[in-house]
Amino acid sequence: MEQDIKTQTLIVMSVAIFATLGVVAFVVPFANQNTRLFFIMVVAVLTGTNVVGLLTVWRSSPTIVDEVFLMTPSGMLLKHYTRRLRPDQDEDILAGMLTAVQNFVRESFDEAGGRLNEIRFENYDILISHSKNIVIAAIISTKKPERLRDQLRTATDDMEMQFGEMISHWSGDKKELGDVDLLMKKFLSGKYRK
Amino acid sequence: MDLRDILKKVVLLGDGGVGKTSLVARYVVNKFDDKYIATIGTKVSRKDIQIVKPNLIINLRMMIWDILGQKEYSKIRSASLSGAQGLILVGDLSRPETIRSLESFWMKEVNAIVGRIPTIIVGNKVDLTASNSMAGTILESMGQRLGVPMLLTSAKTGDNVESIFSTLGELLIADLITKQVATKEKAPQSLAEVVDFIVQDFCAQYGDLEKAMLIIQHQFEDAGVDIRKPAKDTVLRALDGLAKAEELSLTKTVARVNLEERQRMIILAKG
Ligand SMILES: Nc1nc2c(ncn2[C@@H]2O[C@H](COP(=O)(O)OP(=O)(O)OP(=O)(O)O)[C@@H](O)[C@H]2O)c(=O)[nH]1
Ligand SMILES: [Mg+2]
Repeated sequence: MEQDIKTQTLIVMSVAIFATLGVVAFVVPFANQNTRLFFIMVVAVLTGTNVVGLLTVWRSSPTIVDEVFLMTPSGMLLKHYTRRLRPDQDEDILAGMLTAVQNFVRESFDEAGGRLNEIRFENYDILISHSKNIVIAAIISTKKPERLRDQLRTATDDMEMQFGEMISHWSGDKKELGDVDLLMKKFLSGKYRK
Repeated sequence: MDLRDILKKVVLLGDGGVGKTSLVARYVVNKFDDKYIATIGTKVSRKDIQIVKPNLIINLRMMIWDILGQKEYSKIRSASLSGAQGLILVGDLSRPETIRSLESFWMKEVNAIVGRIPTIIVGNKVDLTASNSMAGTILESMGQRLGVPMLLTSAKTGDNVESIFSTLGELLIADLITKQVATKEKAPQSLAEVVDFIVQDFCAQYGDLEKAMLIIQHQFEDAGVDIRKPAKDTVLRALDGLAKAEELSLTKTVARVNLEERQRMIILAKG
C-alpha cells in the first residue's frame, strides 16, 4: 500500500512539472531562440530522469506475501507462515474451509473439473496453486499479484518434487514432515526463482 | 518419554437431522457459523485431545468435517471425504431408518471413496428413547458385526459426547503405538547415554531450553550427580527434582509418567 501511494505521488508530480515546463517552453514568446532550446533541453532531461525513476520504483517495489498455507489436496494444513506478529490460532480450520469452498465451486460451476486458483478481494488476493499432492495458497496484499503467480507455480512444483511423495502417505505425525521451511520461506520473501 | 503431535482428518456422517452438528457444537473449536453446512455442504471445526500412554504423550488434533446429511449431494460430498482418516457415523435412535442407513448407505460410500478407516458408530438422542430400545440393540449388533465401537449419546444432555472423541482418538493412534512398542525393544544403554537422553527429553518437553538447562544443572548439583561419571543413586535423586519442575510446567500426570519411565531406564542401564 505505502509503495503504491509513493508511486502515484511521483506520477502526479512529474506530470505537473512536465506540463508547466512544456507550456513555458512553447507558449512564452522567448526573445532568444537559445533560451527556448535551453528550456526544451531541461524538459527532455527531466522527462528522462522521471521515466527512469518511475521504472526503478516499479521494479523494486516488492510484492508482499502476507500469508502462506501449505496444505494437502484434502484440506489438511501442513504448515502456515505469516508476517503477522500475533497469528490467529485457527489456520487449520481456515485451510479446511478454503478447501471446502474450492470443492464447492468446482462441483457447482465447473463441469470440466477445473480448479479455483484465485480469490480476489478489494485489498488482497488469495492465489492457489495445486499439484498432485500439494496445495499452496498465498494471501497477497499488493496490487500486482501477477508476478507472484509464476513464483507460486514454481514453488509448488519444487515442493511436489521434493516432498510430494512423502506427503502423499504422511500419517499426520508432525515429526515426520520433512524440512519444508527453507523452500517456503524463500517464497514468502517474494523472491522465489528457480 | 516421547511427545508427538498428530493431525488427522475426521468426517462426520449420517442422515439429515440425526444430530451431527449438535453433537460437535459444544465440544469443538468452531470458527464458522453452522450456516456454511447448508451453503457449501461442509463445515470444518477442530477437536484437540491428549492421550497419555506409558512412554508416550500424544497431542491429537482432529479436524472435524461436518458434512450435510442430504444423501443426494454425493458429488460434493465425495470431495470432502477425500483423505479422511477417521469416521464418526451418527444415527438417530428415535428414527430406526437413520440407523439402518449407516451400514447400507454411509459406510458403503466411505468405503468406496477412502476404503476402511477407523470408525465409530454413534446412536444419538438417547434422551428420547428407553435404554433398551430396538434401535439401540440393532446398533449394538451392527458394531459387533463390523468390529467397530458403538456409543449411545445425547447432544442434548451431553451424555457420552466426549467419549466419541476419546474412543475414536484411540483408534486413530493405534498404529503409532505398535510402532512405538517395536522401536522400544532395543539393547540396554549405558548410564551416560540414558542420562543424556533424559536431559534432552526434559528440555524438549519443557520448551524453554535455557530455563530447562538451568533446572537440570540445579537439580543435578543438589543431588550430587557427577556428569562425567554419573552414579545411579544420585541420578535417581535428581529425577525427583525434575519431576517437581514438570508438575508445574506440564501436568501432574505427565510428570508422574515421565518420572516412572526415567526411573525404569536408569535402573535398566548398564554401569
Ligand atoms: N432430543 C434431542 N434432540 C437432538 C439431539 N441432538 C440433536 N437434536 C435435535 O435434532 C435436530 C437436528 O440436529 P442437527 O444437529 O442439526 O442434525 P444434523 O445431523 O446436523 O443434520 P443435517 O446437518 O441436516 O445433516 C435439532 O433440532 C437438534 O436440536 C439429542 O441428543 N436429543
Ligand atoms: Mg448438520
